[in-house]
Amino acid sequence: MATIAPDLTPSTKTNGNNSSDVLKLGRPFRYIVLTLVGLFFIVPIVSSARFSFLGNHNSFTISAYTQLFGTAQFWSTLFLSVKVGVGTVFLTLALLIPTVVWVHVRLPKLRRVFEAISLLPLVVPSVVVTLGVITSFRGLPNIIYGTPVILSLEYVVLALPFSYRALDSSVQSIDLKTLVEAGQSLGAGWIKLLRFVLLPNIRGGIIGASILTFAFCLGEFAVASLLSFTTFPVFLVQVGQLAASQAVALSLIALLFTWIPLAVITLVFSQRRASRSTIVADE
Amino acid sequence: MISSETVANGGRYSRSGLPVRFENVARNFKDVAALKSFNLSADAGELIVLLGPSGCGKTTALRVLAGLEMPDSGRVIIGDHDVTSLPSAKRNIGMVFQSYSLFPNMTAKENVEFGLRVRGQSPKDRSSRSGELLELVGLKSQSDRYPHQLSGGQQQRVALARALAVQPEVLVLDEPLSALDAKVRSSLRDEIRRIQLELGITTFFVTHDQEEALAIADRIAVMHQGQLEQLDTPLAVYTNPATEFVAEFVGTVNRLPGRIVDASQVEVENVGLVEYKSDSTFTAGSEVEVLVRPESIGIRGANDEGCRVLAKSFLGSTIKITLLDRADRLISVAIPTSDAGLVEGVEAVSLYSRGQALLVKGR
Ligand SMILES: Nc1ncnc2c1ncn2[C@@H]1O[C@H](COP(=O)(O)OP(=O)(O)OP(=O)(O)O)[C@@H](O)[C@H]1O
Ligand SMILES: [Mg+2]
Repeated sequence: MATIAPDLTPSTKTNGNNSSDVLKLGRPFRYIVLTLVGLFFIVPIVSSARFSFLGNHNSFTISAYTQLFGTAQFWSTLFLSVKVGVGTVFLTLALLIPTVVWVHVRLPKLRRVFEAISLLPLVVPSVVVTLGVITSFRGLPNIIYGTPVILSLEYVVLALPFSYRALDSSVQSIDLKTLVEAGQSLGAGWIKLLRFVLLPNIRGGIIGASILTFAFCLGEFAVASLLSFTTFPVFLVQVGQLAASQAVALSLIALLFTWIPLAVITLVFSQRRASRSTIVADE
Repeated sequence: MISSETVANGGRYSRSGLPVRFENVARNFKDVAALKSFNLSADAGELIVLLGPSGCGKTTALRVLAGLEMPDSGRVIIGDHDVTSLPSAKRNIGMVFQSYSLFPNMTAKENVEFGLRVRGQSPKDRSSRSGELLELVGLKSQSDRYPHQLSGGQQQRVALARALAVQPEVLVLDEPLSALDAKVRSSLRDEIRRIQLELGITTFFVTHDQEEALAIADRIAVMHQGQLEQLDTPLAVYTNPATEFVAEFVGTVNRLPGRIVDASQVEVENVGLVEYKSDSTFTAGSEVEVLVRPESIGIRGANDEGCRVLAKSFLGSTIKITLLDRADRLISVAIPTSDAGLVEGVEAVSLYSRGQALLVKGR
């Protein structure tokens, strides 16, 4: 699972003291840390990649990949995971954006409480959450129950610690209450406020929350397997029990699937910021 | 007083202001009464400054007027409409906040156009209107900047233009200048006043700064503990305060012991005979406390038996002198700089009265 997502939420809290302490330790220390961390992440990836291209008698082969791409199940499970992921992202945003906004504007005192609630899925074992969700939705029609929709519902809850934090911190970084009141005094209702003021200003948080949630969905194994859905990670484990090099190839593909969109979005965002700030310079 | 008639600028921005009335407004936050039976009437086109100590309910009063806070009881009337139950978005009140409140995702121009966009105006109309307003606040050349590319003063100018763009019936400014440095502050203050006069819009302005209040207000509303203490012209509030609180809060006062001589004169210790006006009648000889402004006391000259000179501070056109009388009471005196010679190298002085007492109260 790709959890090394870059922090897309605008960082406003500059921890002056801490960072300057670190700076004092000097450049060599920084490079050593950076190298160690880099090795820690890169070595496993490079060696997996090498392993996935290894044929009989140490020859180079791409057969692991071609075989995978030729499997119908590869495509169907990938499609299922993407579908569940997209659904989860939409449900999460529809649920959390109004909640976070409301908490900030109307119930600022309850902010900590909501934050604590959002962290519960980290404390409560996921099996318990899974059963809880299933029990809660037992009465629902078959469209939800027994279809991948139930999986999305599970994931909305399980990804809450990531999605809520991303949104909450981006809302925290703007003076939401004043902006809302300014908008209202100019005649804007909630829909227009949401569209013209809120969403554009918490875009970073929305993207961050979406990516984290999507990555979570693409990597989650236990719950999917428990509910007998053959999602991409479940397929990966099944393959791994039969053909090791294919499993490794598969996990590299999964990695790419989450990393490429991440990189693209990060790049687009940093360029946008840069182009905005250049206007200051030409004064 | 400013009339509500259409004024300069070919009537391009101008419109008649509307009178505004708070009637018995009350607003409680848990156990705090932010406003209690608050009454205030502003004439059309008038600039009212709300002045008062922190927590006296100034912001709450403005928020109630703007519809951002609902009163527990009482009514708010604009023109001849009772707007008490109207939500903010329907009130058409321009608001400038203390904290920077521009939408960070929009340029100065887009910010100014926001209210018009919400009202569904065409981009062409919006653009010409925002052009006019940015010109009015002197920021035409910065139209395409984002808020973070503007200084604090510029941001507040844009906020003003944004509030005015929708042709509000009332303009409400809550300490719009308090985050700015002194110089920008006084120039922007004058500019706000100029624009307000030009548009003839009824305006409420909150400030902590007395000088600011005295400088721009048509009338000052002094508030105390959620109520209106006095509503009057700056001169009247300063020279003729209605209550002790107002006398103390606006400007500086000395509280000196005295004894009533007759219905118009009181003998004040160290100062001598001082004229006064009072609603309550005191019998001759009764002991009173007399409130006197520093500039109403003059220095007659050196006198070793008189009050000792503790400190002098030069304030430009006046010199403020702190004296200590023989009973160790502090007296503050302000004399014109041209009289500086009177206290040069002098250790103790005698005083005289140069003006009326503000208030006389029984002891
Ligand atoms: N949302 C709120 N919740 C609880 N108490 C509040 C709230 N808003 C204001 N108060 C209280 O109401 C009283 C009046 O507040 P208000 O903000 O109107 O004062 P103010 O005159 O604007 O003060 P300042 O000059 O410091 O801005 C204060 O005691 C304040 O603590
Ligand atoms: Mg206030």
